[in-house]
Amino acid sequence: MDRRKFSQMVALTGAAGLMGRSMPARSQVRQIRIVNSGGASADAAAAAYGKPFTSKTGIQVVTEGPNLLGKLRALVETGNSSTTLFVLGAMAFEQAKSLNLIRKLDWQKIDPMPMFPETRNDYGLGFIFYSTLMAWRKGQRAPNDWAQFFNSQDFPGKRALPDNPIYVLPAALLAAGVPMEKLYPLDVDLAFQKLSVFKKDVSIWWKSGVQPPQLLRDNEVQYAMAWSGRVNGQEGVEYSFNQASLDISFMVVVRTAVDAEVDAAYKYLHEMTVAENQAIYYGIDPYPGNSPSLEKLLPPEAVKKFETAANNKSVQYYHDAKWWYTQGDAVERRWQQFKLSL
Amino acid sequence: MDRGASTLGPRAAGTQPRSRGWKAALPFVGPLLVLVVLGFNGPILLIVNYSFSAAGTYSFVNYQELAATPVFLRVIGNTFRITVLTTFVVAVLGYILAYWITSLSERTRNIVLALVVVTFWVSVLVRTYAWIVVLGNAGLVNRTLLWAGAIDAPIAFLYNDLGVIIGMANIQMPLLILPLYAAMIKVDQRHLQAAASLGASERTIFWRVFFPQTIPALASSVMLVVILCLGFYVTPAILGGGRVPMVANMLDTYINSIPRWELASAVSIVLLLFTLALFMIYRRLDKWASGEEA
Repeated sequence: MDRRKFSQMVALTGAAGLMGRSMPARSQVRQIRIVNSGGASADAAAAAYGKPFTSKTGIQVVTEGPNLLGKLRALVETGNSSTTLFVLGAMAFEQAKSLNLIRKLDWQKIDPMPMFPETRNDYGLGFIFYSTLMAWRKGQRAPNDWAQFFNSQDFPGKRALPDNPIYVLPAALLAAGVPMEKLYPLDVDLAFQKLSVFKKDVSIWWKSGVQPPQLLRDNEVQYAMAWSGRVNGQEGVEYSFNQASLDISFMVVVRTAVDAEVDAAYKYLHEMTVAENQAIYYGIDPYPGNSPSLEKLLPPEAVKKFETAANNKSVQYYHDAKWWYTQGDAVERRWQQFKLSL
Repeated sequence: MDRGASTLGPRAAGTQPRSRGWKAALPFVGPLLVLVVLGFNGPILLIVNYSFSAAGTYSFVNYQELAATPVFLRVIGNTFRITVLTTFVVAVLGYILAYWITSLSERTRNIVLALVVVTFWVSVLVRTYAWIVVLGNAGLVNRTLLWAGAIDAPIAFLYNDLGVIIGMANIQMPLLILPLYAAMIKVDQRHLQAAASLGASERTIFWRVFFPQTIPALASSVMLVVILCLGFYVTPAILGGGRVPMVANMLDTYINSIPRWELASAVSIVLLLFTLALFMIYRRLDKWASGEEA
């Protein structure tokens, strides 16, 4: 059993609540704990936000992964106060709000630098934009939209799609000709009807974002739906933002966190709005941050590739997180049903 | 045939110390007992509790939902299907390998056993990913076959049932081989010699004298493999390409993404009951296999 799994189990049994209290509540905060998605994003955050935060406040930052919604629920339900900040995707963010797992932010204490309005939420600070887009192996005929992506006659080859209806159903509907601005509420029946036709060309339903670029390079598949940051700058892989979905990752405060540590964490959140820090982040994990002035700090070739660059943003759509919150369960069941038919 | 106590020694002699009472054993068994009760049985009771709770009250809602949604039972069914197939592969190949090991000289035997044990040293995750390098479309096997002209297009070893079964069988194999080997090495050679001296053919000696004596060990290691297969997560997730739905992967969704712990608990309890039923069948089989001395 690896360390990650073990720490998850400890959290689930509630034992972490007893062991994880690093300090008595009244004494000075010496450390805050952040749960994030690990990998490159953890390295980038440590260099971009952790370093300036620690040098200014003297407070150490401990990070751990993965950032599963179930883990957040376990932390809160067991009254665990060890973790202060938690990274959530747009969909999980909506669920966490409804399940009362996170705190309202005190934006005055955060005192942010200028940021894009959609990244400033009562309950979370959006810190990166990411897209879920179509990518293909270099040398393969380039598709313009999802209709072409799924057209295996003119675009021969195998496909890899995420094992997640949130990204797949809208793409199937776009392929069926539903206009981007009329996607929601999703026509679930039509989406599954389309998928039952497309499924013969899909050889892999991926679980982890590292899979699609690797599968493309190995020639295991020729077309794949992928996270933008995972294919950006990857040798032998091409991609397009056309009809991609745009999402925001949020940093949230765990409801059961210690007040003094939350105050300290606000200073960390402030660092997440500083354009210079975001430029460092981009250098390690290429996702753009929430500052409108970030573009001035990076070379124009990088800015052109931004998920949020005007010409990229205009061809993408946002998910309706609220729709998924109410329908997610029913769709998941049909998704399992669909997977059994593969 | 007389199956005397002398050859089946450890088992037949093991009845006496039991009467000496558990009090003397408590200081030694106690810590483990506490660990198992607090760390394992306690959480299981919590899961039972979760499975019966809905909106703050107790009810059968989760189980009703489970029964009304065929997909849950079908995923459990698929899990058992993959488990049975994997176990069959492990049992056949593992038995042959263990039998072969007993026939080797002591030196070679140790080397082969070491090779079997070495696989425990490598993480399951690494071993699972390694199969992609070996069996993928651009993997060693396919490239060799393509180069040799044996095939025109790569064979789809991975991202289907076959990939999952290969990966799982690889991980489970040592768990069957080691106890089976231990049982085989204990089989009294004089039984085989006696059979031979009475004119039995090699085939008859194996099937009527040797094989029956290894059935209990085979059955118990098969059971171990079955129980571990039922909860497999990593291998189906990676080598199944998301096309081989298994319970653990579905539970992951219901625990971590949705998160509906109450429903996930109900699914877990149903799986646990299925497994217990299987275990009871195994106990029956075990009694039958070990015959009169049980």
